[in-house]
Amino acid sequence: MSSFSRSAQQWATFARSWFLIDARMQPPGKIATMCAIRLQGKHKPIYHAMSDCGDHIVVMNTKQIAFSGNKWEQKVYSSHSGYPGGFKQLTAAQLHHKDPKAIVKLSVYGMLPRNLHRRTMMQRLHIFPDDELPDDILANLTEELPQPREIPKQLSEFTQEEIDAFPRLWTPPEYYKMK
Amino acid sequence: MVFLSLSCWIRSRGPDRYWKVQDIVKNAKHFRGRKNRCYKLAVKAVRRAFVYATKGRRLKKRYMRTLWISRIAAASREHGMKYPVLMHNLTKSSVQLNRHVISNLAITEPRSFLSLAKVARARQQEGFRAALGDGKEPVGVFSRVVLLQ
Repeated sequence: MSSFSRSAQQWATFARSWFLIDARMQPPGKIATMCAIRLQGKHKPIYHAMSDCGDHIVVMNTKQIAFSGNKWEQKVYSSHSGYPGGFKQLTAAQLHHKDPKAIVKLSVYGMLPRNLHRRTMMQRLHIFPDDELPDDILANLTEELPQPREIPKQLSEFTQEEIDAFPRLWTPPEYYKMK
Repeated sequence: MVFLSLSCWIRSRGPDRYWKVQDIVKNAKHFRGRKNRCYKLAVKAVRRAFVYATKGRRLKKRYMRTLWISRIAAASREHGMKYPVLMHNLTKSSVQLNRHVISNLAITEPRSFLSLAKVARARQQEGFRAALGDGKEPVGVFSRVVLLQ
């Protein structure tokens, strides 16, 4: 790379990459922090707020996002239309049903710095509810980022041999009724 | 012959007014509106600009340090370390490079920065071994601070 000319080296240093994140069974907040860091360009040692060094991020499978705790029922997204009586409050579950992209979009929007670059950075974020990506975006992708949360294995995914091999912790008495 | 009346009335009232005005107005040439031309308005604007410049010289040092820190943090995360861990272990290994130099290394000398990250990682592991171990093992290479005389 030292054999590049100066302009070619500059071009290579400031080129915009396209990252892919799979949001299946991931908490939307963790996805959003990863997106916000890379949209601003803070993952690069050449970062400067004025240099426009952010990258593109493609988030897929946002329909299968996983909040921890009871946030699906307790987290409230509020908005006001501007007209009197226009204050709307939606729980996370209702908002996700109405628009599966909105939760990730709002989380990333809230994590970006509150300046005029925020709208441009949001335009570089591409969210898809399923894993079908358009061809032009598929052609641009450079790297897939590892998922922030390890997906725990579900009981149905264990084979019968593994279930049998698991040590028995206690033997229930005869009158005990299992669910 | 001595002129007693007419020429006594003609006096030079400060021959250098032009340059005194220009001294101030030249600092306002890039301002907007009449304050880049008219002396009365330019004086106020230039004084305010100089006050902001004085305050800005102190803020610049703060901004530059935060920029260096965020650049070093980004580069160290590329190598799987976090900024506070890196800096703490570098100071413990008596590497006295400041953030300015380390951020420049991170940009232009990536392999030198990688070696700094490895030094910090080794010092961190030695610290863990010293804390968790029994004390029977000798402290590692990087923990023995060499005092130069």
